[in-house]
Amino acid sequence: MITAQHCFIRTADPDDALALERFYAPEKPRAAFLDRKRELLVPTFDELRELLSAKEAKAGVFYTVEDRAGTIRGFCSLRGAHPEVSHAEFVVVFADDADYDAPFADDVFEFLTDRAFVQLKLNKVLAQCLDSEAAFRAFLAARGFQSDGVQRDVLFAGGRWRRLESLSLFRSQFPPRNAGTR
Amino acid sequence: MPLKTKIFLRRAERDDLDTIVAWMDQPDFARFLYGDPARSPKQIREQIVAMLGRTTAHALPGAVYLLIDSEAYGLIGLLSLQHLSWRNRSCTIDLYIGNLSLRNRIVASLAAFRAIAYCFDELNLHRVGAYIYAFNTASWRLFEKLGAVRELTLRDHVARDGKLYDVYAYGLLRPEFQTFCEKHADLFRRSDIDMRHRAPAPGDAPAHNPIEPPTETSQ
Repeated sequence: MITAQHCFIRTADPDDALALERFYAPEKPRAAFLDRKRELLVPTFDELRELLSAKEAKAGVFYTVEDRAGTIRGFCSLRGAHPEVSHAEFVVVFADDADYDAPFADDVFEFLTDRAFVQLKLNKVLAQCLDSEAAFRAFLAARGFQSDGVQRDVLFAGGRWRRLESLSLFRSQFPPRNAGTR
Repeated sequence: MPLKTKIFLRRAERDDLDTIVAWMDQPDFARFLYGDPARSPKQIREQIVAMLGRTTAHALPGAVYLLIDSEAYGLIGLLSLQHLSWRNRSCTIDLYIGNLSLRNRIVASLAAFRAIAYCFDELNLHRVGAYIYAFNTASWRLFEKLGAVRELTLRDHVARDGKLYDVYAYGLLRPEFQTFCEKHADLFRRSDIDMRHRAPAPGDAPAHNPIEPPTETSQ
């Protein structure tokens, strides 16, 4: 477990399934939980438990974010990280949109970018957000992510078409820790 | 250049296997699409059999693999529609012109048009997407000519020959395809592609099916 300044970050385990289930609410679709067809997944509790027991979760690619009181506030991940492609998907989901402005959001950003650029030496990280995820987009933009463009009419949910924006942050844009800028 | 090439899409037969293996063994296939150049012909053959086996005659699965054939030129290429979503009415398209002598010729454009028309007019999709490497200029220019919009530029996204290249993501929506067809109605009338339902000649029936509700987009 990582003890950050404002939160704890630890590998997700099957007991987090109940908390994770709430993030799949169809009325609030999240780009992070779309499948390869860009369809909304609605997994059951048992399926989530199984998912969190899987090898990838155990290997530590999906993390739970707890506040100092031990309440689960969200999840984060570097999905698809592989040295050959040299990039990974940067995933951060918080239960409450206001949490993207909370101090522990900075801890999560530090943790993921450190893993991506320092430990894994990736070239870039990519993030995706639906047009309804304004808080997540603002979180990314405030930390240097730049838009790669918007894909139109990608998802049909809630009776309307949704757009999906891709944003990226390159290692070259990422100031080293000892530069005193962060 | 004749436009009457009688291009059609069909499911692969056992007899097509050698041709497809040869296409997928071309260095261009791994460069422009995917695949490990070190694969053996046996591995390619097994992969193809698995891929083509997924294209069933009845229910449409999440991916469709078809051959582009023509009376005039014989086998032209391979079409793969992936991430087919019936909920979002969308897919991503990969098109490979395996017959090298036909690349950069109008027959390749007609083949791409046939593939996209199949997506909209037979599968009733709303959106066709494509991811094309920036160095594959002929492909992305062709998609742009067909009315697709470059929606993403994924910088330094794919490695080829030790270098990183950009990848472009294109999207073509149903109304944009309709606009393309209306704009090129004259071309269709000179070809053997029947697009009267989308681009009627004067005196033809209306282009839009009156029982089909207008498609809304977020545009």
